[in-house]
Amino acid sequence: MKNYIMNLSGSKKLAMVGLVLGLVAVLLGNPYDNTYAKVNVKALSVESIRDSEIINVKELTEWIIEGKVDYSLVDLRDEEAYKEYFIPTAVNIPTSKLLESNLMRNLKILLYCENNIKAAQAWFVLKSKDYKSVYILNDGIDAWKDEILFPKISENASANEKLEFDKMVEVSKFFGGSPQVGETGSKKEITMPKIEIPAAVPMNTGGGKPKREGC
Amino acid sequence: MNAPFYKFDLFGFDVSLIIAFVIGIGFGFALERGGFGSARILAAQFYFTNMRVLKVMFTAIVTAMLGVFYLSFIGYLDLSLVYISDTYIIPQVVGGLILGMGFIIGGYCPGTSFVAFSTGKKDAVFFILGVTFGVFIFAELYPFIEVFYYSTNMGRVTLPDFFGLSYGMVVFLVVLMALGAFAAAEWGERVMAKKGESK
Repeated sequence: MKNYIMNLSGSKKLAMVGLVLGLVAVLLGNPYDNTYAKVNVKALSVESIRDSEIINVKELTEWIIEGKVDYSLVDLRDEEAYKEYFIPTAVNIPTSKLLESNLMRNLKILLYCENNIKAAQAWFVLKSKDYKSVYILNDGIDAWKDEILFPKISENASANEKLEFDKMVEVSKFFGGSPQVGETGSKKEITMPKIEIPAAVPMNTGGGKPKREGC
Repeated sequence: MNAPFYKFDLFGFDVSLIIAFVIGIGFGFALERGGFGSARILAAQFYFTNMRVLKVMFTAIVTAMLGVFYLSFIGYLDLSLVYISDTYIIPQVVGGLILGMGFIIGGYCPGTSFVAFSTGKKDAVFFILGVTFGVFIFAELYPFIEVFYYSTNMGRVTLPDFFGLSYGMVVFLVVLMALGAFAAAEWGERVMAKKGESK
């Protein structure tokens, strides 16, 4: 047997190797399996306490107004909630579908949900799949509503606060919000600005130029 | 470290172009060394007198396939991030036939024409001019054929999806197919050689 193998020509030996690798492949099955990940727990635990991965809504408004394209804004809520209202430029990817979503790893990924806990859960999922720059929008959609769409100021605010508020009014109007002056004790119905869902939300891009691959 | 490097952000877009250039040079070199810089060898494939193209291509396919399969299995390569273009079955069949005709008539395919050109073959220059002209014609006609171009979209189809087999099984079957093709090619060449002698 050994002699037989040794006497084969080089190309036949290679063919044998190919055949053996092919046979083993049958037993191994599917390499696409996306379910399991090896996680560096130490690195994750160190990273999880850094505040630099938390973005507040005011920063986000600057990104959107400047037209930045180096990030994907991801809405983690379910489709219903997304259809009702979402932060402009966001794509809807519920946490359970994150892994199939083809989010680009070379873009910043900014996650938001109703609250920070849910966003943090998704943050861990993406981090454990080796996504480098994942960020959380602090207090999510609620912060967006309170601070951007319907910012409030009390009537006896200081001059500095008023100056700050005037700036926010402009930003708020840009996003279709309605700033509230004075104590709105009787919580009058505030209407959410209407937002059109883009015809086809590209899942894998956060803007930027689409890159064609292939030959 | 994980692959694909670009999608894991090991380098940016600019560096990716440089890397693509280096890989391209390597690819061209391998083609030339494989004998693909000669229109005679390439055209002979279509008359079954020289099966080198089939052998080289199938070797490349099997090597790449086994490499990708095992690299992704040991977790070095995330296969779900490797781009697979959509299948537009009818336009792609038509396009394949047109490319094939050009291949037989000209003796090169687009890649090998540049390989041949780099070794100083004059016919390759004319082939490249033809390719450029063809690209121009295609671009001019594009508005009229756009609907056809995007017709019969089947999305991202892979052989395991299509046949409902496991990936490992498809890998094995392709290896078998390649080995079978190698054996048939060797046999075919011997038969053709004998015919050639008896004439």
